Amino acid sequence: MARLGTHFQLLLVIAVALILPLVIRSGSLATEVLIYAIAVAGCNLLLGFTGLLSFGQGIFFGLGSYTAGILLTRLALPLPLALLAAVVVGALAATLVGWFAIRQRGTYFVMLTLAFAQMFYFLAYSLPTLTGGDNGLLDVPRPPIAVGGLELMALKTPWQFYTLVAVCFVIVFWLLLRVTRSVFGRTLLAIRDNEERAAAVGYNVRLFKLAAFAISGAVTGLAGAFLAIMTGIAPLSSIEYHTSEMILVMTVIGGTGNLFASVLGAAFYVLFSDWLSTLWPRWLLLLGMLLIAVSLFMQRGLWGLGERLWLAVRRKPPADDIDAPSATESRP
Amino acid sequence: MTAHADNASLSFNPQHPVPHTSHLAHPGTPLLEARGVVKRYGKFVALHGVDLTVQPRTVHSVIGPNGAGKTTLFHTLTGTTGVSGGTVVFNGHDVTAEADHQRVQRGIARSFQVTSLFANLSVRENLRLAAQGVKRAGAFDLWHPPSGARAHNDVVDGVLERMALTRFANQTAGVLSHGQQRRLEVGMALAAQPLAIFLDEPTSGMGVDDLDEMKRMIRGLRDDYTVVLIEHNMNIVMDISDTVTVMQLGRVLVEGTPDAVRRDERVRRAYLGNMITGGRA
Repeated sequence: MARLGTHFQLLLVIAVALILPLVIRSGSLATEVLIYAIAVAGCNLLLGFTGLLSFGQGIFFGLGSYTAGILLTRLALPLPLALLAAVVVGALAATLVGWFAIRQRGTYFVMLTLAFAQMFYFLAYSLPTLTGGDNGLLDVPRPPIAVGGLELMALKTPWQFYTLVAVCFVIVFWLLLRVTRSVFGRTLLAIRDNEERAAAVGYNVRLFKLAAFAISGAVTGLAGAFLAIMTGIAPLSSIEYHTSEMILVMTVIGGTGNLFASVLGAAFYVLFSDWLSTLWPRWLLLLGMLLIAVSLFMQRGLWGLGERLWLAVRRKPPADDIDAPSATESRP
Repeated sequence: MTAHADNASLSFNPQHPVPHTSHLAHPGTPLLEARGVVKRYGKFVALHGVDLTVQPRTVHSVIGPNGAGKTTLFHTLTGTTGVSGGTVVFNGHDVTAEADHQRVQRGIARSFQVTSLFANLSVRENLRLAAQGVKRAGAFDLWHPPSGARAHNDVVDGVLERMALTRFANQTAGVLSHGQQRRLEVGMALAAQPLAIFLDEPTSGMGVDDLDEMKRMIRGLRDDYTVVLIEHNMNIVMDISDTVTVMQLGRVLVEGTPDAVRRDERVRRAYLGNMITGGRA
């Protein structure tokens, strides 16, 4: 699954960032694809690489939105600082949630992340002075990126903002590709495969899971901040359980265990729902059916489907293709 | 080719990474000393104060019928579960309060009774992970892929050869035969370059052919390591052990050389003779 070279995957990611403006007319829609791709990659790190089904991704996403929103509206901080703060807050929140949740495994782990998601939602709801409560945080500005009064990059138009998000999107994916291929990332795969054995050969499994959580939270927080800045509002819905669910659905549709699959999942979900919602108000019903189909027939998601098609085109038995690259990977 | 590989795997191989014997705190003294180990599960007492002393460079077997507490003792020694009382001292360090992954850093490695591998990863990757597990700092490298020195190829290749798995290095562990998986299971423990290897019924479910090979391998381990063996198969124990501890109902019944244990009247009485002597009598 995760066997294509780092460079090739990075090229695919760059290609997506360059091609989206050519095929999508709306800058906001294209930006939304990249924003969710970032969040989905964070979720994939947990689900696909560490084997952790987290319903808490909405917490980190929402906190990222609020952090950027509050810092930009109340303190008029420069945009890069607001983004950085969202990353830090996302990582801290994920460390906190992870600290408790990884004490349990399986069902109870999932329940704990759900419980935290509910808790943070009501926390945001009951602090209207900070978060705007039910109305959300309105009028989040989008100041240009400037150093000492010198404007480096205007972000007024949707496509200008897209450029900023696209650059960050490529950087985030590059970093995540490095992390998942690193000694650390390979250990996460081992933990996903057999947690008991991983502990028996000397790994502090909890510490690894916690680190995966922190990275996931940081990345998801960044995505949340971008969405708030793009839409000009940090709504209560961004910290809702529904956001966690949406990110998870995108992750599963795209395919787990492969980072580029996250881009596919996010793009598919965002574009598909945008198109369907103009045709039929009950479009979520179709999405449900799609999810059933993915769960039943294509558990490796769109990425797995693409791989199968590619193999069929090349008319090669799949076994060969799986063996060869794994050999080069384990002994580079 | 196979025969050659087997021979090489049994004799001491100077190229094989030498376990850190020099780290032995006190040469000549026991490597492992468990004193009065008690383990309770609620009201049930699995271990009633077990003493166990393991000398370095020996094969020390713990035997007993089902429910004797062998596996529970094993788990308290490797740190998989904590103790309710007593102490475990390994190589001069009191490790009683340490978790399993911490004891690995002390030089304790274990295999599992039910094969427990990284089934979706290659044989080489399984061993690399085991070799990396004892090197704490390097395992948290978020930036570099496990290539070059980080691949631990010297250790991994040595273990592959010793366990006659070189040919299968790039196969997925999950598709190996049962015997090969059992060998990889032991190899995982070796890859940690430990002082002591704890083997939990390494021959469980093995066919006759694989059994003899595994026996020779365990015997060969004594040259470089200390082996603590939990076994149900009495044949194996009597042939390859230096010391045998017999457990019954959570207590040590008898301890001694295989011959002494085989002749022991209490053992004969407790096990109706042929179970311990394993058909040899």
